Amino acid sequence: MSAEYLDKLQAAILEGEEDDAAQAARDALEAGIAPIQLINDGIQKPLEKIGKDFENGECFLPELILSGDAARAATDIIMPKLTAGERADGLHGTAVIGVVSGDLHDIGKNIVGAFLAAQGLKVIDLGCDVSPKRFVDTVAEQQARFIVISTLLTTSRPFYRQIVDTLKARGLRDKTYVLVGGGPVTPAWAREVGADAYGRDAKDAVACCRELLTSGVQSPLAEPLIVNALQSKA
Amino acid sequence: MHQKPDIVEILRRTNSGEYCAVKEWDVKRIPRTVRAMLKKYGLEKVLNPEEPVNTDMELADTFFKAGFELALELGMLCEPTERIVKISEDELRSTLKHAPSQLELGFGKDKRVMKSRTPSDPYPMMFGASLGITISEDVWPYYIEGIVRQKEVDLLEGGSLVSVFGLDVMPGTPSETLLGYVQGRRHRELRKQGGREGMPGIGNISAVTEFGQFCYGTKGGFYNNDLSLILFPSELKVNNQTLHKVVHTLAMDGLVFAGSPAMIGGMPGPAEGAVLSCIACALLQYAVLQASVGGGEIYDIRYLSNVNREGLWALSATHQALSRNTHILTHGIANEVSGPGTEEFLYEILVGVAVIAASGASFSTGPRAAGGKLQDYITPLECRFCAEVGHAASGMDLAKVAELAKHFLPKYEAKIKDPDIGKPIQEVWDLRNFKPTPEYHAIYQRVKQEAIDFGVPMDPF
Ligand code: B12
Repeated sequence: MSAEYLDKLQAAILEGEEDDAAQAARDALEAGIAPIQLINDGIQKPLEKIGKDFENGECFLPELILSGDAARAATDIIMPKLTAGERADGLHGTAVIGVVSGDLHDIGKNIVGAFLAAQGLKVIDLGCDVSPKRFVDTVAEQQARFIVISTLLTTSRPFYRQIVDTLKARGLRDKTYVLVGGGPVTPAWAREVGADAYGRDAKDAVACCRELLTSGVQSPLAEPLIVNALQSKA
Repeated sequence: MHQKPDIVEILRRTNSGEYCAVKEWDVKRIPRTVRAMLKKYGLEKVLNPEEPVNTDMELADTFFKAGFELALELGMLCEPTERIVKISEDELRSTLKHAPSQLELGFGKDKRVMKSRTPSDPYPMMFGASLGITISEDVWPYYIEGIVRQKEVDLLEGGSLVSVFGLDVMPGTPSETLLGYVQGRRHRELRKQGGREGMPGIGNISAVTEFGQFCYGTKGGFYNNDLSLILFPSELKVNNQTLHKVVHTLAMDGLVFAGSPAMIGGMPGPAEGAVLSCIACALLQYAVLQASVGGGEIYDIRYLSNVNREGLWALSATHQALSRNTHILTHGIANEVSGPGTEEFLYEILVGVAVIAASGASFSTGPRAAGGKLQDYITPLECRFCAEVGHAASGMDLAKVAELAKHFLPKYEAKIKDPDIGKPIQEVWDLRNFKPTPEYHAIYQRVKQEAIDFGVPMDPF
């Protein structure tokens, strides 16, 4: 019997149907299926498949985003039913993501956001051309665990510093992990602005969040976590 | 009668067209319409990765028909108002009919003529260098003059400044406006200093927003017969930044050079979908953005490149489709990922630029050294190599270029996802004497000789 409910939830996520996923989650809980089983088998499994298919060119960005949305809808319903211990195991909490002022390059940010959502984070996507003030206001309002900053423009990089400085000035710096990435962003830049983690691509963003949460290290980190930096091989 | 909608009519449509939320457009409207069109024309899964260059002209023509229909079906979305700007069939046909098929660019002895081409057309594809790779302020004039001195390079475009008078430039702030005027003026001066005062130009690569574009066509800035670079968001979207740039360029009597890459793996899905989206985008930008040149950019978001198999194939099919069925002045970019001083970078250029040139593009810009991301990672040597390949490969038979791609791809493709970024300009190029280090020059000569041995008709020196 539980297989039937899990199948429905998996199918809704694979097809990216938000309403169906929420309904399937409700039905499954009502039928008495363990919330943790729903998270692991009903949500994580199809998301892993979508992630792999995306990398292999068998599914594309729209499917990735819609599946992420569907997973989010189901997770919202299941999360409150988990025990505190169960909740601590997975990726959880809110991540505020956006592309900084002036910059319209949003494709990389969309992929990073979809990957983080797929891992169970509540992702608040502010879009592109986001001012430092808007980033920090949202972190405060949402009590976000992560602030995920993207840019592809060298000239937009100084806004990273403004964001970190504003977090500090408003007493929020120790409440949120600052993750940075995007083309011109380097480990050296991550250090310079005082970020907590740097990654090269969407998978690295997930790895950073996972590492920060599981290690439980207090933000700000003295030395940022660096995952997969570009290098000269000469 | 000419039925192209003018800019006033376009601005009207950005407020009165059908409402569509941006997210709906991105994740539903684009993918679904593209998928339906691929199906209707039997274009699903026609790509065979073993054949990274298309040589089937009937297929290219079918892509054109489907892309044309897609353009009419979709139109372009205005992001801030969330309204769709639709173009009717009569308007689109009339726009394409009246689009320029040839442009005289630059002036005096340095003038160059850009022409509409067809696949394997012996008329050389023009090449402009470089893209918006950021360059430190102290290095920038030497780098720009270095490009001007490469006589093979037809148009001067970049790199991008990140500071002026020691002041960090931040987009959308007055520092960007200042940067624009400085760059426009310096481009004039440096073209003259490099001995090619009338060299055609593209401006302003550093203009992230409209503020950096005021320098186009205004006193002392970029000339109004330089191309005015106006990029817009993928897929098929416009916004106020782009429209401001268009209005300004038209007011200056200038030439709109529009573009936006279709994304393999993105909203239009597989490479076949990106080809359709790219064709639709190229056609629509002539009506919506009043383009004089441009259209034909493709990018693969899984590889952050397009010199991989799917990317090359998509570039070839798109440019064949557009050049065989229209006379617009199309533009392609090879997105390399390796950096200066590496031989992979030169192989990526060779394959990417040859495919674009032989497939019929009118011009190309590049290179995208180290993915275009890192400050000072580019030299004039690669700019020259791009132009040499572009000119020489223009007239090559497509079957021969397909062989070339298959021969040279194995020399770099395994490294695309984790490329060697190479070395910054200071380490591989003598800035004051405008020449590469002997080591880098030797690598260049070796790769060039391999290309010549393969049958690319380049001058060995
Ligand atoms: C597509 C594109 C555009 C499109 C953007 C469309 C859109 N909707 O996003 C258009 C045509 C509009 C555009 C315009 C411009 N562009 Co542009 N563009 C590109 C291009 C070719 C590809 C970018 C892309 O989408 N890649 C695909 C995605 C999937 O990759 P990604 O964004 O890098 O994201 C991945 C990683 O970086 C990472 N990541 C991203 N964010 C984060 C965050 C965290 C926390 C982590 C861990 C990881 C991470 O994960 C992602 C997924 O793996 C790049 C070239 C390049 N190599 O990057 C130039 C590039 C970014 N553009 C550039 C420039 C200069 C411009 C313009 C200023 C040009 C001009 N004068 O008009 C304008 C600026 C417009 C604006 N206001 O922003 C330069 C920037 C140079 C620099 N260092 O500053 C580049 C590098 C080109 C170049 N030099 O050759 N561009």
